[in-house]
Amino acid sequence: MIRIQVITFFTLASVILFTSAYAEEIFTKGDLFPNMYSEQPRSILVLPPINKSTNPAAPEYYMATIAIPLTLTGYYVFPVELVSEMLKQENIYDTDLLYTRPLNTFGEDFGADAVLYTRIKKWGMTHTGLLSRLLISFDAAIVSTNTSEQLWKESRTVMVDLSGENTSTTGSAGLLIKSMTTDADSVAADSVSYAHKANSRLIESLPFGPYHENYLQDQEIEVK
Amino acid sequence: MQCKMLLPAVSVFMISACAQPVPQQPLPLYHYEDSSLTYCLYKAHMTNESLLNFHNSIERTIERAEQSRSGRVPPGMYANLGYIYLQSGKSKEAITVFKKEKTFYPESTHFMDKMIKKIEGEK
Repeated sequence: MIRIQVITFFTLASVILFTSAYAEEIFTKGDLFPNMYSEQPRSILVLPPINKSTNPAAPEYYMATIAIPLTLTGYYVFPVELVSEMLKQENIYDTDLLYTRPLNTFGEDFGADAVLYTRIKKWGMTHTGLLSRLLISFDAAIVSTNTSEQLWKESRTVMVDLSGENTSTTGSAGLLIKSMTTDADSVAADSVSYAHKANSRLIESLPFGPYHENYLQDQEIEVK
Repeated sequence: MQCKMLLPAVSVFMISACAQPVPQQPLPLYHYEDSSLTYCLYKAHMTNESLLNFHNSIERTIERAEQSRSGRVPPGMYANLGYIYLQSGKSKEAITVFKKEKTFYPESTHFMDKMIKKIEGEK
């Protein structure tokens, strides 16, 4: 009797799973981020992330690598270091303070159309058997400095496989690594390459910007 | 006879088939060198040497801008160069590249003008 119940349970469960998998709605970039297409921001100011992970170096790696995927998506991205210098001169060192700064001030001070806010939730290693992976989990949102409307948001957990995926040892970066004297520097080199991968995945759903050939032509693209 | 005639045609066909280029990876919108890494190392060490490495990777990125779909220097790259000039007290050079950033990317006009004004005020 119990056995039959168990079987029915599993059958039912699998039927539910099966149908729900098929009933899952497909969303396009246009469905999820209509404000991106109506406001059409051209420039993005990246704020330093709020770090809730246990890795104190995570914000530095994030800031060093976030601009590239954003520019490759077609946006003007304000130079990270120059912006942070400018903010320091206003005595803004504290990320929390930055996150409560009125949005329109980023438009007034920098001419930014939108601001990217990020919260790093996890940034650390996971080990499964012999496999070591870097797990990076973060939330991000792009908000308009004109209307204070949220234009885009994403929440992602990215696993970077560390077995034989060391891309930083090739090309000109590889040459640099050879000349690196400390272990800390080669750790930094790896971290930069992992952070770059994770950030590229974070903004995958972001609609193309004005410098991209497919600008305003990707509304129908499915968000995975 | 016919076979002999065919042979060159066949071999030409075979050679051309072999010479088919491997489908090329499309060029990225912008060309980047290793400035993310050299920037990180500069932040970690804050030495003249690490600043020089950062400077060199930015110069290389600018030199090789043609190796991309846009053919343009990436956004923010001239501004980064200006930042480095400012670190070494070269305000004239900084102003020149801040102006270049504006020309390439009008989105930066407001910020670059502010930077230029600040430098000129400090003189």
